[in-house]
Amino acid sequence: MRATEFFTRVSRMRTPLLLVAALLLAAATMLPLWGMTLVSTQYPEGLRMVVYPTRIAGDLAEINVLNHYIGMTPISDSFFVELRFLRPALLALSAVLVVAAAVRQTRWVTSIPLAGMAALGAGGLGIMRYRLWQFGHQLDPQAAITIDPFTPPMIGLNQIAQFATYSYFSWGFFLPVAAGLLVALVVLADRRRVRPRVGRPVLAAA
Amino acid sequence: MSRVRYGAVALTLLALGACDRVKPKAPGTQPMATGDVQAAALASYVKPGDQDQYYLFYSGGHSGQVFVAGVPSMRHIFTIPVFTPSPGTGYGYDEASKAMLGDFTWGDVHHPAASKTAGDYDGRWLFVNDNANNRIARIDLRDLKTKQILGPIPNTMGNHGSSMVTDNTEYALVATRFSVPMGHEYAPIEEYATKYKGAISGIKVDPATGTMSLGWQIMTPPFNWDLGATGKGPSVDWAFWTSYNSERATGRLETSSTQKDRDYVAVVNWKAAEKAASAGGAGTVVVSDVRVIDPGKVPGVMYLLPCGKSPHGVDVDPSGEYVICSGKLQPTSTVFSFAKVQDAIARKSFTGSEDGIPVIKYEDAMVMEVPVGLGPLHTQFDGKGYAYTSLFVESAIAKWKLPPYPAGADPKSMVVDKIPVQFNVGHLVTAHGDTKHPKGDWLVSMNKMSKGRSIKTGPSIPESSQLIDITGGGKMRMVYEAYSEPEPHFAQLIHKDVLKNTIEYYPKSESHHKHAIWAASDAKVTRNAATRTVEGTVFAIRSYFEPGRIQVQEGDTVVLHITNAEQARDEIHGFGLVAFDKNIVIDPGETKTLKFVARKSGVYPYYCTNFCSALHQEMQGYLEVVPRGRRLAMYQNGEGVMRAPANARRSEHAQAARTADHQVAAAH
Repeated sequence: MRATEFFTRVSRMRTPLLLVAALLLAAATMLPLWGMTLVSTQYPEGLRMVVYPTRIAGDLAEINVLNHYIGMTPISDSFFVELRFLRPALLALSAVLVVAAAVRQTRWVTSIPLAGMAALGAGGLGIMRYRLWQFGHQLDPQAAITIDPFTPPMIGLNQIAQFATYSYFSWGFFLPVAAGLLVALVVLADRRRVRPRVGRPVLAAA
Repeated sequence: MSRVRYGAVALTLLALGACDRVKPKAPGTQPMATGDVQAAALASYVKPGDQDQYYLFYSGGHSGQVFVAGVPSMRHIFTIPVFTPSPGTGYGYDEASKAMLGDFTWGDVHHPAASKTAGDYDGRWLFVNDNANNRIARIDLRDLKTKQILGPIPNTMGNHGSSMVTDNTEYALVATRFSVPMGHEYAPIEEYATKYKGAISGIKVDPATGTMSLGWQIMTPPFNWDLGATGKGPSVDWAFWTSYNSERATGRLETSSTQKDRDYVAVVNWKAAEKAASAGGAGTVVVSDVRVIDPGKVPGVMYLLPCGKSPHGVDVDPSGEYVICSGKLQPTSTVFSFAKVQDAIARKSFTGSEDGIPVIKYEDAMVMEVPVGLGPLHTQFDGKGYAYTSLFVESAIAKWKLPPYPAGADPKSMVVDKIPVQFNVGHLVTAHGDTKHPKGDWLVSMNKMSKGRSIKTGPSIPESSQLIDITGGGKMRMVYEAYSEPEPHFAQLIHKDVLKNTIEYYPKSESHHKHAIWAASDAKVTRNAATRTVEGTVFAIRSYFEPGRIQVQEGDTVVLHITNAEQARDEIHGFGLVAFDKNIVIDPGETKTLKFVARKSGVYPYYCTNFCSALHQEMQGYLEVVPRGRRLAMYQNGEGVMRAPANARRSEHAQAARTADHQVAAAH
């Protein structure tokens, strides 16, 4: 199958594809986005922190008690202003995708949610990276235990004092990424599809 | 020849001389074969990180506590304080447990009984008696804490025949050991046979909360009630107690109460008693605020069944059809048929009466006298058709077959195995042994004497408990031996899965304590100058108390409500007040109240007594007791809310307080 043929097919599927992308974004608002699990000898079952688009769940009370010894700011929903905007942003983008799916004549409209998703993704990762840096660096100088400032890694295994940590992205992140790829594909296909000859209906082109 | 003869005489004399060195071998002293040792070691070994299968809740006797061991390891895991203060858990030092203990400092716990649903353990509560001060306590198996102590129960002296839990925990039934005149009256001991009375009490259990209340009592002749059992299946509405001293004797009971060949088993219809009590009316009276039933006047409530001399225990088999009673001064266990008992009652086949209570004809109810051995006391079951009876005098456990028996069966042949125990077994317990569905795998023999089996402990010799494997078809197998403080009587051996709802900390969401606080900034101390009282809420979390400084005036009454705001298992904090003889221990999520009078001026540190963290040693504060007449700098005009003095620099605690605000908010 030639590339143009593939894009033509994609373009014909644009409405369902955009609706699926909208659905993925909406679903992501309820799913965990990112998490960290800490394990040590005395916590063999692990302490968990799980970030949702709207809140932070897990063993926060215990994590905060442990963190206060090194002077880390307590982790709480209220501290992260961004958690108030993430769900509305995802839902807005989802709504825009539905509109884009409905608008069949002016296809460039699809580029708007794509740009929005790219901005949200880049911005989100940036903020996240900053928060990780902030939590590992803005330590209370009067804390009982003094440690060198650090940045917890966004992904993978790490060792912080007696804790082995594992950070990972989850479905709340993967679904919007998948949605973004779908929308990008549609935008690309809209530009590269074989344009039907004048007077002939699209469906007859094949 | 004469030389030979002299030689023979000399040899005979030598042999006779050597005879005083020959002794018969005591049972159980043969060394175990290496293979048996290895098998026993593997059967009882619970390797690090693994858990036991069973909880052994064994009574602590006159220690007033309940011990908890794991089976098969037999390791003592912890102790539940019930009737005796326990500084290790702060029990008896905070206001709530102090109020529960009242003015008593000890109890005598004999017979734990787990709550049941449809005749099987349901893991909700454990009821234990106090033989000394006539009380009964309820332990909640959700947190393994004593929640209620009921009593002293009126008309009861020595709450020994307790606690017998009915099939669906409608009642914990109890019976007095000693008979005394009713209603705390005085009557000289010469009037024992007529003026003294025994009592059986129905302690009603609230099905939702477990809260106990005194339901009713049955007045009995002045026998000594010993131990009981509740029925199940066909006998579900009934309960049974053994008695001794049916002679109604006083003086030296050792001889005066052992003259008759038979004593009685009380056969009590608790459903009928409940009905008679709620109906009131003839044959019932109210004594000491409880409805007392005279079973001589209310028919159908109580019968007497003759049993072997001076019995100790009576037990009902898993089917509820066979009632086994052992006369400790006769070498037999008597098996009664409940159907036959019912039949005798229906036919009014009575041989006489005691204070109007009908005595059932022994031969009518008896199925067999099984010659189990010397000094039989208590019987437990394996659910596979066998009974296990402890033999105190013989220091052994007999395994014998339950009915049905073939016609003309030889009673001797019903005893299928016997195992020596070290020494003088009192109670024995099998896994779920008093329920409808015994597990049939483990038996624990709780021995009254250990006589130097352990390394030396001075003259206070510990008690021994032995683990016996009863899974084998025929032979019982000795597996392990453990020691405990005085003194286990009965026990409940409960599978760990039954306690599936047991928590490891108190969830914040369930805390309804009106003085609980969850943020350091909510810690607040207030002084009332008029009443000279200081009341405060104290916040405890790793690794500080808030406030870290409490100021009071000499002579003030101080009430502190301390919340352990942790939400993690084993993050227990203590609050020990130096030189005040006070230590309370607060579990995670719990709030406890400490009350004391600051009699003497000075500065007294308080500190966390239960090791909590790397900075546990730093978890401390100061109680300032300001001398009378000197100004209280932390209060405005000596009263109101305590505040840090204006010149005090921002303390570490204040900073920590803000941290903690975030913590607890974040958690929920």
